[in-house]
Amino acid sequence: MAERNISRRGFIAAGAGVAALAAGAGAIGFGEWNEAIAEGVEKGEIKAVHSLCNSCSSKCGFTAYVKDGQLVTMIGDANHPYCDGTLCARGYAYASIAWSEDRLTEPLKKNDKGEFEAISWDQAYAEIAEKVQSIIGSDGPQALAMIQDPRPSGSYYTKRFMNALGSANVYTHGVACNMSKNSGMTQALGAADFTTDVENANMVIFLGRSYCDGIRPSSVHALQKAHERGCRIVMVDPRCNASTLFADEWLPINPGTDLALILAMAHVLVEEGKYDKEYVANYTVGFEDWAARLAEYTPEWAEGKTGISASTIKRLAAQMWEAAPKASIEQGWRAAYGCAYQNSGETARALCLFNTLLGCWGVEGGAYFPASASAGKLEDPKFAAPAAPKEKILGQAEYPLSAGGMGVSTYALSQIPEGKVKGVFFYQSNCVAGYSNPAKLAEFVQAAELSVAIDVQMTETCQACQYVLPDTSYLERLEVPEFVGGKVPVVSLRDQVIEKIHPETRPVDQIFTELAQACGVGEYFQFTVEELADAQLRTVGLSLQALRDAGGTVAFPEKALKFAPKTSWGTSDKKVHFTSEACANAGFPASPGWLEPQVMPMGTEFRLIGGKQAIHTHTQTANNEGLMAITEQYGLDRVWINDAKAAELGIADGDEVELTAPAIGFTARTRAHATPRINPTAIYLPSHYGCSVKEQKTAYGVGLRQMDFVPFHIEPGYGGTMSQETVVTVKKVGA
Amino acid sequence: MTRYGMLINTKKCIGCFACRTACQRQNGLLPDEDFIRYEEHVNGSYPNVRIETVPLQCMHCADAPCANVCPTGATHISPDGIVLVDHGRCIGCKYCMAACPYQVRAFNEKEGIADKCRFCTVSASEGGTKMCTCVEACITGARVFGDLDDPDSEVSRQIKELNAQPIKGDLTDVSVFYVR
Repeated sequence: MAERNISRRGFIAAGAGVAALAAGAGAIGFGEWNEAIAEGVEKGEIKAVHSLCNSCSSKCGFTAYVKDGQLVTMIGDANHPYCDGTLCARGYAYASIAWSEDRLTEPLKKNDKGEFEAISWDQAYAEIAEKVQSIIGSDGPQALAMIQDPRPSGSYYTKRFMNALGSANVYTHGVACNMSKNSGMTQALGAADFTTDVENANMVIFLGRSYCDGIRPSSVHALQKAHERGCRIVMVDPRCNASTLFADEWLPINPGTDLALILAMAHVLVEEGKYDKEYVANYTVGFEDWAARLAEYTPEWAEGKTGISASTIKRLAAQMWEAAPKASIEQGWRAAYGCAYQNSGETARALCLFNTLLGCWGVEGGAYFPASASAGKLEDPKFAAPAAPKEKILGQAEYPLSAGGMGVSTYALSQIPEGKVKGVFFYQSNCVAGYSNPAKLAEFVQAAELSVAIDVQMTETCQACQYVLPDTSYLERLEVPEFVGGKVPVVSLRDQVIEKIHPETRPVDQIFTELAQACGVGEYFQFTVEELADAQLRTVGLSLQALRDAGGTVAFPEKALKFAPKTSWGTSDKKVHFTSEACANAGFPASPGWLEPQVMPMGTEFRLIGGKQAIHTHTQTANNEGLMAITEQYGLDRVWINDAKAAELGIADGDEVELTAPAIGFTARTRAHATPRINPTAIYLPSHYGCSVKEQKTAYGVGLRQMDFVPFHIEPGYGGTMSQETVVTVKKVGA
Repeated sequence: MTRYGMLINTKKCIGCFACRTACQRQNGLLPDEDFIRYEEHVNGSYPNVRIETVPLQCMHCADAPCANVCPTGATHISPDGIVLVDHGRCIGCKYCMAACPYQVRAFNEKEGIADKCRFCTVSASEGGTKMCTCVEACITGARVFGDLDDPDSEVSRQIKELNAQPIKGDLTDVSVFYVR
């Protein structure tokens, strides 16, 4: 038998005994709570509770094991479509957020000196409600906006709250994520978010997306299986990303030119008649228009744009056709055209049309739309939804191609100084630090008559607001069930793993229910989250208890995906649209053609690109001690510069460098990582760092913030934040 | 006899750090206490580049130099080949850290203890549920754990099939083998 070391667990604690103490004693402080934990909960009993991870947008299902007041371990669900049995580095580490010393613990209000002071919940609700009612009275409910990036309870409660007030202005973080991609795809297909069947494919081209950097474990599994099975995998990315481990080749494209590559590959296929003619004839419209437009986009032309040789482009097109229909360009996400350039929406549209040529839709090994499941209509009238707002979400008219379900939040904020928007709420969204230029966004928010942020820790967004309300962490609450699509759809539960740590924090369902009551629309919130969750689950033959008893995730095998060529689409005439009237009306060609990025690096300039590292999610995880320890130990906050280019500039690996964005006159210093892993026209700045909030003691002051170098601007038509439409110069400090 | 060992296949390692944070969660380590450290190798020159990540941790040497120099006997080798640290006997002198040729002892600043990988996969289960160690946490299945003395064990079979080797030749008599 192996001896077992006695581990000295650190400061990771939770327990039922303590909960009772906290609940009974009222407002105990963090110190007392910690002491109570230390005083011995040597019961030895293991409590297994199912939850959903909150360290990124995937919300993987896992079981948390709590023993003797400690979160002993976390095990990813085998049947959850996103984690597929394993969690990622963020998942294990981010759970510590519950016990972070930097938690917000009581409602705050900014005083005349610009400092936050603690206030009671009653005062916060009363003052916020008064302002909400005053704004609605003078300007109507459309002068209010909500920006949120939560799930699953947050999505439900924030929308219901805003709709109850009569406002349609509910925004996600989409503008800084996948807005352009989804909007462009919708123009072509009437739907977005297809999935490449990587594990069964014969060939897949990835454009900027790296499953092994922006990790969803099931995607990594699929990529690995594909690689081990001999699928040809091509990684097109200015960076040699972590997924190249499983790729056959890395093509370091010039950033911002993916559209040119797609157009040229399509040119080759159409010119040589290598496309699924039957599919194009039966299930698409507008092909002739695109075919004619493609004539000028030769591989030789694209070589000059992309830096990828004409012969390589011809070879890729031929290989894709040979592998078709078990071949596709993977959809991407944020990376290269989720929100990066003024050609991002058009890139996504062209990508879908290229895949259409391959006849891959719905075919095993091709690309499919995941099977889905959802809760049915709730019969009990207390759950009836408020009337749909009369107006469209603000920004839809100005950005007609933008996905209304996401909304152009940056435009809404820009309308604060114009007096069109007067009150703004943020739930779990650090919009100011990440959605566009932070100085500009903070200026907008600070001009509002009412600004409220709800979060677990002080953020740049919280700092810009008048009121900050302390949320519970995701481990401290039950939420409405999350329905997740996949080859086999599931429903999964975020249950309460530990008791509330800070007595003055409140869960999202409680905050919006109480806020609604204060604002006079409490009639739409006459239920508890338990009742709501149970009612939703009963529409699919389950109950809250049944889902708990089943371990927290239940699959719907009867709704499983069946591969079959997709012959009906979500467009007006149910066909794939090579041409789009809406695009033409928005100033784009009817079928996608080349559109140059707004700015190109000239002379000594580099394009500044961002991108994920496997251990972080945007700026949300930077304050996690475990994850930031990795960043610091391995210098992950450094900016990447091509090693040969660095040598030309006299920059050695590890040198301190100064980056300047001339367009907005922003300059800052950091360390450089000279590496052959990047295209010489680009500098890569990891998107996670540069936190300017002192209260985030771990994150503060480490690295630079990508968005500080990006001007405030919005992609015409599509509404994306154009996060990579900026160039920088670089010089060695002291040289 | 049982002699526990591990195979790490760097051809599958994506350098995601999941093993590190899962280990920290499982073993209750401090945020900067790393039983696993990583070396990144970038081979070739632009644009013909291959990357390799090599996770390093205690090799559980049969002739462990760290155990040999430990003045208190805190570091010792269990009968089944696991190099262990008796926290109560560790005086934090760091001789072991200097002696370890793989530089994989991790100092716990809070406790003043030179700790290390415990091969917790052997014993990590609670109420019949296998807990999540580096082996279970690995997203790509790069780690295989088992009995090196059992020729039919998965780890023995794969070491033979894939010709897994010690990371630094015969520097010490290791229990962790690498496919590179």
